[in-house]
Amino acid sequence: MAAADPHHILALFNDGADAEAFRPLLNDLPGLLSIENPPVKEMFAEKMVSLRLNPSLVILSSRLYPESRPELVAELKAIFPGAEILLVTLATDPLPPLEQLAADRIRHLLVTPEEDEQEGIFSLQEAILRLLVRTPWKLQDYVRPGSRVHEFPLTSSNQKEALIASLEETIRGDSEEMELLRQRAALLADEMVENALYGAPQGDDGRKLYCKGEERVIDAGEKISFRFAFDGETLAMEIADGWGTLAPEMVVDFLARNQSGMDEELDEAGGRGLFIIWRFMDHLHVNIRPGMQTVLGGHLKAASTLDFESPRGFSISTDYLST
Amino acid sequence: MSSLFRVITRSTDSADYIALSGNIDASADKQLQSLPGMVDNQLVHFDFSQAGRINSMGIALLLRCFKQIREEKKAKIILRELNPTNALLFKMTGVFMLASHEK
Repeated sequence: MAAADPHHILALFNDGADAEAFRPLLNDLPGLLSIENPPVKEMFAEKMVSLRLNPSLVILSSRLYPESRPELVAELKAIFPGAEILLVTLATDPLPPLEQLAADRIRHLLVTPEEDEQEGIFSLQEAILRLLVRTPWKLQDYVRPGSRVHEFPLTSSNQKEALIASLEETIRGDSEEMELLRQRAALLADEMVENALYGAPQGDDGRKLYCKGEERVIDAGEKISFRFAFDGETLAMEIADGWGTLAPEMVVDFLARNQSGMDEELDEAGGRGLFIIWRFMDHLHVNIRPGMQTVLGGHLKAASTLDFESPRGFSISTDYLST
Repeated sequence: MSSLFRVITRSTDSADYIALSGNIDASADKQLQSLPGMVDNQLVHFDFSQAGRINSMGIALLLRCFKQIREEKKAKIILRELNPTNALLFKMTGVFMLASHEK
């Protein structure tokens, strides 16, 4: 019997030009097998079996899936049920249709930086390696070493404004760029805190325990804590709650439902807050330990473009444990 | 600038002018609910120059308010003086489908 192939990352691309576009991102990754224009249907399964692969991670280009090969993720999940699937897209390409990603339970979307931004590529490679070992994102990874991490354990809903004021004070500078970052940071913190205060607490029947706007005291057992760090260019933020009620499959579903826009009924239950957090961040991270904890966070750069068309990334993990 | 939500209205023969100031969130619920009833004209200008943060709950309330003004008063809504963050927020949440943005 032939030995299993040692490659533990499988990357699938539409064609040679597609593979070339992602080369800076994937160049130094160990154990990577790259396939361009993979065969369709039964022939795809046959090829995968013949290669004797057992990848921990499958990287898919958005130029291949979902546009030209919408069935590919279902096929991959059937062949490699234990593998994480990571969709990669270029910052200059359109955002892949979220409805398809939600239907296929895609949990990881990485957006490669424009041009040759080496620092951005390193952080994406780091994210890929984390997926391989199933460890969660860490706030400190996105700011320069030594940057101060500010932490606010919440005991009351009344602390929100003071927390936001402290965040705004940390982002110094009179430039237009810094003013925009302060505005975005304040909005993100608002949504993150509201989500932990009013979205996360749920009864056994899934009903929300508190209404938005209601003043409330936070029990010690809820363990709601907001953290942020800023290094002058990048702001990283996260909020943890001790509820763990956010269903991982609902996250991309919320993003997809809100992508199409207006519906005033889509407020608390519809995940509009989560959608706003995702759109204003460069990359959204959610790590859920069901019934125990949800950590939601991400980072954004002061120089990031403020537009609605650019794709944004996300990573949704379940039960990843910090090392 | 105070973060408390406030509404200031004035009317002429041809248009209503409504200035919203402070943060727009769940605390704005009652005032935004009563706003459509104050509209007399078929042209309504909303001034956001003194508005602060608008969160997802504030967006839901504004959508409901604008929808009511359009449907019940058959009025056209024009939004003015939005900061870049709020303008993007309105674009991504469909507010501009109900109201036009005067830059």
